[in-house]
Amino acid sequence: MSKLKTNRLIDSAFKYVGIACTLFGLAMLGIFIGDILIKGLMRIDWDFITSLPSRKASKAGILTAWTGTAWILGLTSIIAIPLGISAGIYLEEYGKKSRLASLIEVNIANLAGIPSIIYGLLGLEIFVRVLNFGGSLIAGALTLSLLILPIIIVGTREAIKAVPTSLREASYGLGATKWQTIWHQVLPAASGGILTGIILALSRAIGETAPLIVIGALAYVPFVAHSPFDEFTVLPMQIFNWVSRPQHEFLVNGAAAIIILLLITFVMNGIALYLRNKWQKKIKW
Amino acid sequence: MNSTLDPELQALRDNLLEMVDLIEEQLERSKKSLVKVDRDIAKSILEGEKRVNDMELIIGKDCENILALHHPVATDLRFVIATMKMSYDLERTGDNIKIFAKFLHANLHKNNLSLIERFKFDSFIDLFIEWLHEVKKSIKSDNPDLVKKIIKSSQIMEKRKSATKLAAELIKENPDKVKVILRLYALVQRMARIGSMITNICEEIVFYREAKVLKHHAKK
Amino acid sequence: MKNIIETKDVNVFYDTNHVLKDITMDIKEHSVTAFIGPSGCGKSTFIRCLNRMNDYIESFSMKGQVLIDGKDIYKKKVRVEELRQKVGMVFQKPNPFPKSIFENVAYGLHIQGETDKQLIAERVEKSLHRSALWKEVKDILHKSALSLSGGQQQRLCIARTLAVKPSVILMDEPASALDPISTAKIEELILELKQHYTIVIVTHNMQQASRISDRTAFFYMGDLIEYDKTKDIFTNPKKKETENYISGRFG
Repeated sequence: MSKLKTNRLIDSAFKYVGIACTLFGLAMLGIFIGDILIKGLMRIDWDFITSLPSRKASKAGILTAWTGTAWILGLTSIIAIPLGISAGIYLEEYGKKSRLASLIEVNIANLAGIPSIIYGLLGLEIFVRVLNFGGSLIAGALTLSLLILPIIIVGTREAIKAVPTSLREASYGLGATKWQTIWHQVLPAASGGILTGIILALSRAIGETAPLIVIGALAYVPFVAHSPFDEFTVLPMQIFNWVSRPQHEFLVNGAAAIIILLLITFVMNGIALYLRNKWQKKIKW
Repeated sequence: MNSTLDPELQALRDNLLEMVDLIEEQLERSKKSLVKVDRDIAKSILEGEKRVNDMELIIGKDCENILALHHPVATDLRFVIATMKMSYDLERTGDNIKIFAKFLHANLHKNNLSLIERFKFDSFIDLFIEWLHEVKKSIKSDNPDLVKKIIKSSQIMEKRKSATKLAAELIKENPDKVKVILRLYALVQRMARIGSMITNICEEIVFYREAKVLKHHAKK
Repeated sequence: MKNIIETKDVNVFYDTNHVLKDITMDIKEHSVTAFIGPSGCGKSTFIRCLNRMNDYIESFSMKGQVLIDGKDIYKKKVRVEELRQKVGMVFQKPNPFPKSIFENVAYGLHIQGETDKQLIAERVEKSLHRSALWKEVKDILHKSALSLSGGQQQRLCIARTLAVKPSVILMDEPASALDPISTAKIEELILELKQHYTIVIVTHNMQQASRISDRTAFFYMGDLIEYDKTKDIFTNPKKKETENYISGRFG
């Protein structure tokens, strides 16, 4: 009887500890977001979004930063998505289960966990110096592609793995070739999962600063990029630059830019969530 | 071991054996009545017949349930089918015994006695009881070899032949008793029918154990 | 009737695991042949050998011959895709594609490169007629196949197989996931299809095997124990193992 009481006590105690922990996390997040909103929200207006950077805080805008971010996202998508999906398909569908394959598999999983600065150093050596792209958009996009490639590959493989064998068998059973089966059945069925992986990967790419600093992206770029070989900056770099300045006005600019960055990330995550739900609802096995 | 079907089959087999026992009792009573010249015993046979009929109904119901609920196959299926036929044959055997008993009940008088004895009904009955013993043993031990000699036996045919001859002689000797003699001869035919029914039962045993249909072949 | 399928000393291994041993068997044209046996006896592996569905299992290896219409289907130059159009397969769980009913049936033709819309529409309708589904779906051809009931889905899978004009249809426990009425419909369908196709069916349901098949093969531990007319298997099996299995006295 007393044992039962103790157990119940522990049970409810754990429940309250859990609630407390959750609330703590939420509260912290709330405080940060609230703080930023209070400081930055008033600063956001059309001029802020469409102005070039300036030495004067009140005149400075994030035009170069967000266009740079858009360029980087676009280029990274063009490079990383086809590569990642193709590699994922190959590894999941065609790769024979050999020792080499399992070695590659382990390494890809590990690559996803490597600190991003290491990718920056790799990009600096290969893209900036050897290929002589300099601190350009293309060098940045290639570096970020390397960074998110493992995420896309793993996401694609998981999505393909989740497609039931029965679907493939049905297709093979009707005389379809392997490629026909992948193209007509497996990829459509896995598309929701693959898209989710891609968007999560791109969300990560948006927030990365360290590798871009390493390859020499500039914080102050007074013009909008017109080609992949132009120099660039991105939102996180701009934020980093502003918040490290002593003047209060620049801190407010930083907060405003953070709001924009958060907004983009939230929207992308929202899309990912929406796609995942839609996918799960549509396909019931 | 089939835990649902096997108990049902065992119960069916027990009922079948009990029905054979009932027939055996009926035969023994007839013999007693004959030997002791006791018409009351003959009357008790008429009552025993009811139990035989009841048992046939029980077995029929059992078989129906097993077929409907357990879908037996192979040996099990053959056993159920054979049991249905055997119970039918046993019931008909009972009917014939009843007719014999009715005759005894009505005609077992001193003045008929010598004629009745001439037809040696007791030797028929002895033979049937002996056969039914073999049938029971065979069903209990699942051994069809025990009854194969019964199927081949020609004793009934011989007995019938000698009875025909006997009847012809008796009619010549006792022209005043032709009616009784003819009725006695008809009873011999009844006995012969009992013999062929027991033979059928034996054939069913061989059928369910060995899946061989002996009927209509063996006699050719 | 001639033999459409002949196997000679088929031995199958999963790695070193010997799962089928010297299976030699003839299957007659326009007949229904049932494979029965306890789980893991090799019957499903064997039926999949008949249209090479085991090819994708890496540990799979096979010795022996499988002849379809007299041709060895495991020869190198055989095109597996063509083989599977000739020897179709219906699986245990209904597995329609997450597409429309029409597209499901037309899929086999699409992948063959058929573009004649008229022909495709005709073939789809005919296949749905043959699988006794047309009346139920003729007004909803463009609805998702996943909206159909389990039994309808399975008949759709049969229609899909019929659309590529096979001569043999392999069915791996096609009714095991269905209710009794859907099962009865599938069985009725099998008996009708028999007139045009050769059907091989794996089933765990003894009554199903006895109701619909002409011949029954009993597999146990990778051996073909007994293969005979269904009537003989279910009334008077020659082997003790067969009798024990069909009468539920196994193990």
